[in-house]
Amino acid sequence: MKKLVAILRNHYAKLLTVVGFLFVWQLVVMILGIKEFILPTPITTFSYLFIPELASQYDWFTHIETTLIEVLIGFSATAFVGVFVAVVMTWSRFLRQIIMPIITLFNSLPKIALAPLFLLWFGYGIIPNVMIAFLISFFPIVINTIAGLNAVEEDLLDLVRYLHASKWQVLVKIRLPNSLPYIFSGLKISATLCVVGVIVGEFIASTQGLGFLLKSAQGLMDTPPMFASLILISILGLSFFGFITLLERWVMPWQKSQQQP
Amino acid sequence: MGHAVAKKPTTTLSGKTFNTIKRNYQTPFVILIFFLIWQFSVVIFNVREFILPSPLSALEHLLLPQPDANYNWSVHISATIYAVIVSFAATSIIGIAIAITMAWSRLINDMMLPLFIFINSLPIIAIAPIILLWFGYGIFTNVLIAFLVAFFPVVINTAMGLNEVEEDLLDLVRYLHASKWQVFAKIQFPNSLPYIFTGLKICSTMCVVGAIVGEFIASDRGLGYIIINSQFTMDTPPIFASLILVSLIGVVLFGLVSVSEKIVMPWHQSEPIPR
Amino acid sequence: MKAKIFTFFMVLAVLTVMAGGEATALTKVNFQLNWKITGDHAPYYVALKKGWFQEEGLDVNIILGQGSGYTVKVLESGKAELGISDAPVPIKGIAQGAKIKIVGIIFDKHPNCMFFWKDSGITKPQDMAGKTVAVPAADGHKVMFPAFAKQIGIDPASVKFLNIEPAAKVSALATKKADIVFELYTGKPFMEKAIPADQLGAILWSDYGFNAYAHSIIARNEVIANNPDMVKKFLKAAYRGWDYTLKNPEEAIAILAEYHPINITDYVANLKVVMDFFKTERYRKYGIGYIDPARMEDTINIVGQYMGIAINFKPEDAYTSEFLPDPPYKYDF
Repeated sequence: MKKLVAILRNHYAKLLTVVGFLFVWQLVVMILGIKEFILPTPITTFSYLFIPELASQYDWFTHIETTLIEVLIGFSATAFVGVFVAVVMTWSRFLRQIIMPIITLFNSLPKIALAPLFLLWFGYGIIPNVMIAFLISFFPIVINTIAGLNAVEEDLLDLVRYLHASKWQVLVKIRLPNSLPYIFSGLKISATLCVVGVIVGEFIASTQGLGFLLKSAQGLMDTPPMFASLILISILGLSFFGFITLLERWVMPWQKSQQQP
Repeated sequence: MGHAVAKKPTTTLSGKTFNTIKRNYQTPFVILIFFLIWQFSVVIFNVREFILPSPLSALEHLLLPQPDANYNWSVHISATIYAVIVSFAATSIIGIAIAITMAWSRLINDMMLPLFIFINSLPIIAIAPIILLWFGYGIFTNVLIAFLVAFFPVVINTAMGLNEVEEDLLDLVRYLHASKWQVFAKIQFPNSLPYIFTGLKICSTMCVVGAIVGEFIASDRGLGYIIINSQFTMDTPPIFASLILVSLIGVVLFGLVSVSEKIVMPWHQSEPIPR
Repeated sequence: MKAKIFTFFMVLAVLTVMAGGEATALTKVNFQLNWKITGDHAPYYVALKKGWFQEEGLDVNIILGQGSGYTVKVLESGKAELGISDAPVPIKGIAQGAKIKIVGIIFDKHPNCMFFWKDSGITKPQDMAGKTVAVPAADGHKVMFPAFAKQIGIDPASVKFLNIEPAAKVSALATKKADIVFELYTGKPFMEKAIPADQLGAILWSDYGFNAYAHSIIARNEVIANNPDMVKKFLKAAYRGWDYTLKNPEEAIAILAEYHPINITDYVANLKVVMDFFKTERYRKYGIGYIDPARMEDTINIVGQYMGIAINFKPEDAYTSEFLPDPPYKYDF
C-alpha cells in the first residue's frame, strides 16, 4: 500500500496531465458543440471499447493482438540488428564507409511512398509490417549506438591499448558499457517509431490490426471507433516507452536519464 | 606506442571541413555503386517499369524535356528544400529548448513527456485529416507535420545528455556552491553536446521524411506532391526521380550536421578514428 | 475658387474609384475537392483559367482533398462553402447532423468497377464471394459495398477485404496479391500500364443494376440560406467548365497542367473515360448536373438500409436542384 502511495506521489504530475487532457477534451467538445463525426468526446470514444453492445461490432482483441505481435517482433529485431550493425560499423571502418551512406539514403525516404513496391516484395501480413517497422525505426538505434561506442575518452583508449588490450576487449569492456546511455536513448526513440512503422505497414496493406481498424472506421465516417483505435495505438507507444525506461533503470541503476527529486 | 597516429583535426574551419570530407570521400562512390547495382538489377531481371524503373529512366525524366510531363522541377525542388530547412531549423531549436525546459523542471518533464510520447506514437498519416482541418493547406502545415515527425529524437537525446552528468562532478560543483544556472551552463549543456548532435543527425533524415509526408498531405507543390500525382497515373520514373532527389537531400543534410559536429566539438569522436 | 473646384473633383474621383472598387470586389469561395488532382477536376480549372468564375463575381480557391468524408467535415466546420463528395457520404453526414445539401451531380453513370485478371475465371460479380478484394478503406467502393452485395445476392462477409494505400491499387492486382481490386472505371488506363488490356477484366457495378449517385457537388446550408446567389453562380461557371471540357478534353488537361504537375497523356486518357460516364440520355435531355428525384431517393434509401443509419430526414432536405444552371448545359454526345 505504501509503495502504491509512493508511486502515485512520484507520478502525480503524469497522471494529472492525462486526466487533465481528457477533461479538457470532453469540455471542448461539449462547449463548442462539435458534432460526433468530426470529434467525438472521450466518453463516446471509450464506450466503443468497453460497452459490450458497441464494442462487439469490432473484433478488438484480434486487432490489438495482431498489432501487438507485430510491434514486439519488430522492436526486438530492430534492437538486436541495430546494435549489431552499429558494432560492426565501429569494428570495421570499411564496412562503415559502405553501410552509412546507404542507410542514410534509405532513411530519408518516406516509406509510404514505396507502398506499391512493399506490396510486391513483401505482400501483406505480419512479416511485411514487421519489415516496414524495422526499416523505419532502426536508423536511430544505429546512429545512437555508434555515437556511444565511439564517445570514449582518448586517454582511456590510449591507456588500455598501452596495456595491450585487444580490439575485442576494448569493445566489450570499454565501448559497450560506455554506450549504454546512448543505446537506451536510441531504443526509446525507436520504440515509438516501431509502433508508427507497424501502423504504416498496416495502412499500406492489411486485413487486420489497429491500423486496419482505424482506416476502416475513418472511411465509413465512424469517428468514435477511429479515435478509439488511435488512443490504443498511442497507449501501445507509451507502454513500450515505459517498458524501455524500466529496463534502463534495471540495467543502469547508477544512471539518471530523468531527473529524480 | 605501436598504433598509427590519427589525422589530428586542424584548427581552422576549412581544415576541419576538409578533414571530414576526406574521411568520408567514399560516400559518393558508395552511392554511385548503389545506383549501378540498381540499374543492372532492373536490366538483368527485366523488372517492369511500373514496379521499379531504372535510375536512368528516372534521371531521364528529370533532365530531358518531357513534352507531356513538363514539370517545373526547380520550383518543386526548391519548395522541398525550403520546407526541409525551415523544419530542421524549427525542430532543432524548439526541440532543444523543450528538452532544456524539461531538464530544468521535474514537473514540466512529467507533464510534457507523456504528451510527447503520445504525439510521437501516432502515425502522422492517421491524424493528417485532423491537422489539415485545423490548419489548412500551406507551408505552415507542411512544416508542422515535419516538426511532429522529427522533434522527438532531438528532445529525447538532449534530455538524456543533460541528465547524464557524473554524480561526483555534480556533487563537487554543488559543494562549491554553484548555482543551478552555473551547473547548467557550464557542466550540463557542454556535456550534452554530443547527445544533441547525435539527436540532430537522426532529426535530419526524419525532417526530410516529415517534409515529404507534409507535402503528401498539405501541399500543392514540392517533390512529395509530384510523387502523389505520379502515383495516381502509375508514372514511376518521376516518382523515383523525386525519391532520388529526396534521399540526396537527406544525405547532404546529414553530412552538414556531421561537419558542424566536428567544427563545434573538435575534441569529440563520434566516428571511429582510422588506425 | 480653383482650389474648391479641384478638391471637388478629387473627392469625386476618389469616390468613383471606391465605388468602382466595390463593384468589382469578388466574393471569395473555397471549393473543396474530394481528392488529389484527377482528370475530372479539370473543368474547375478551365473555368478558373477562362475567367468564368470571375465573370460571375467569384474568387474561387480550389483546395486539394483527402476523401469524401474529409470534404463533409471541411464544409461542416465552415472552412469551405462548396465541395465534391461521393453522394452516400454527405447523405450519411446529414443523418448524423451535418448541415449540408447536394446541389449538383457529377458522374451520371455510376463509375464503380471491379478489376481482375481474366484468367481468374471471374465472369460475373457474384464470383467475388470467397475471394480477396483490395480497396482503400476510405474508398466509395468499400462504403457502398454492402448495398451492392445485397443487390447481386451475395453475403458481404463472404468477401475478404484487404485494406491498401490508394497508391498500391494497381500493384495489388498486378502482383496477384489480391484477386480483385475495386477502383473507378476511370482508372482503367493506369491498370493497363501493368496488366495487358486483353488480360484485364472489368465489371461495372452499374451494369448489374447499381444506380446510386456517385460524385456530387455539395454546399453548406448556411451558404444556401444566406448567399444563394453564390451557389447559383458557382454552379453555372462550374458546369460551363464541364461543358467546355467535354467538348475539348485535350485543352482542358493542358490547362490543368498549368496549375499542377501532371502527365498530360495519362490524364487525357483518364478524362476520356470520365466522359463516358456523362454520356447518358438524362444528361442529353436535362443537362449536366441534373438530379433525378427518384434516383436520389433510391440512393438515400440504400444508404439508410446498408450503412446502418436512420434516415431522419425527407429526401428534399438532402438535395436541391434550384441552383443548377438555367438554361442547362445539355450534353449532346
